[in-house]
Amino acid sequence: MYDLARGPLMWAAFIIFTGGVIYRSVQLFMLTRKKDRSFYTSQSLKKQDSGKYSSEEKKLELLVSFQNTLIGKHPVMALISTVFHFCLFVVPVFLFAHNLVLFESWGFVLVSLPDSVCDILTIIFLFCAVFFLVRRLVVPKVQAVSTPYDFLLLLITAAPFLTGLFAYHQWFDYNTVLIIHILAGEVMVAAIPFTKLGHMVFFFFVRILIGSEYSFGRGSRTWIT
Amino acid sequence: MKTVDTKKIKDMLKMKKARMKLSLSACASCSICAESCFLFMSKDKDPQYMPSYKVVNSLGKLYKKRGKVDRLFLEKMRDLIWKNCVLCERCYCPFGIDIPGMIAFARSICRSQGISGVYPHTLGAPEEEYSKNETG
Repeated sequence: MYDLARGPLMWAAFIIFTGGVIYRSVQLFMLTRKKDRSFYTSQSLKKQDSGKYSSEEKKLELLVSFQNTLIGKHPVMALISTVFHFCLFVVPVFLFAHNLVLFESWGFVLVSLPDSVCDILTIIFLFCAVFFLVRRLVVPKVQAVSTPYDFLLLLITAAPFLTGLFAYHQWFDYNTVLIIHILAGEVMVAAIPFTKLGHMVFFFFVRILIGSEYSFGRGSRTWIT
Repeated sequence: MKTVDTKKIKDMLKMKKARMKLSLSACASCSICAESCFLFMSKDKDPQYMPSYKVVNSLGKLYKKRGKVDRLFLEKMRDLIWKNCVLCERCYCPFGIDIPGMIAFARSICRSQGISGVYPHTLGAPEEEYSKNETG
């Protein structure tokens, strides 16, 4: 079972992930087109008007726009979400044990973080996951749009970390836990492009490439339909 | 009661299927959009005014049911996308989902079946009169 999980199933998961991400990216490119050049952008208009306002007014404007950001409106959610996604990427990629497997298979390694750091990050990640779970269960506005599918996706995301923690500390039967850990990781990776976890691709594409009020920068593309 | 032209609805849904389904599937139901809606804030944070709730329960359901809906469904949907939303386009989604675009599309589908919203409150009618005064 271990060989199956580490061999063909691992390949299958990564092929689904890579193919899926490429498919989603191409799909997003096809659904958008290059934006027409605009002579007046919100930035250029702001520059033109900047002389009209006093520094007090400018400070106030900055404060108002900050209060409208995610950090200004939901500081706790913004912090936990950022930490959650940071751990989600950093722990699996820079974990020593994963790099060891990478070296055994392909003969190269990435930078590794100390095991103790990854251990702490995993526990922090799991706390964040519990926060999301409790939020989904008790906050009325989140309850209203939560379905069993949302809980399943949270489980799919947290399972590799929970089983990884168990495997690292060798709690329960190590071999069984390790196989479950590998399978859980593969399920998560394969689920990314075709489930709600696809927001990984959608977020970067839409917030960066498509110009809108909330995009980072001006954006170079716009929706076709 | 007028019947619903489900073929027309299906055709309309098909026209924007790729973009709309992608946007619906990107919604992580995080509810961060809630506070950006002034109606949500002014109606005691009633989840029915939350942007994601309005989209999922209108356009989302239309796609889920593949356009096979009856008039009652569309009339219920009308309240959600007209009475609970003024399309001010101030909703904020951390993933950049175009929520107003989706609600506007749901409205177009309703209009294609002769269902549209009116705003009697803007004419001075009291709130409890809204539903009575609305015409199909």
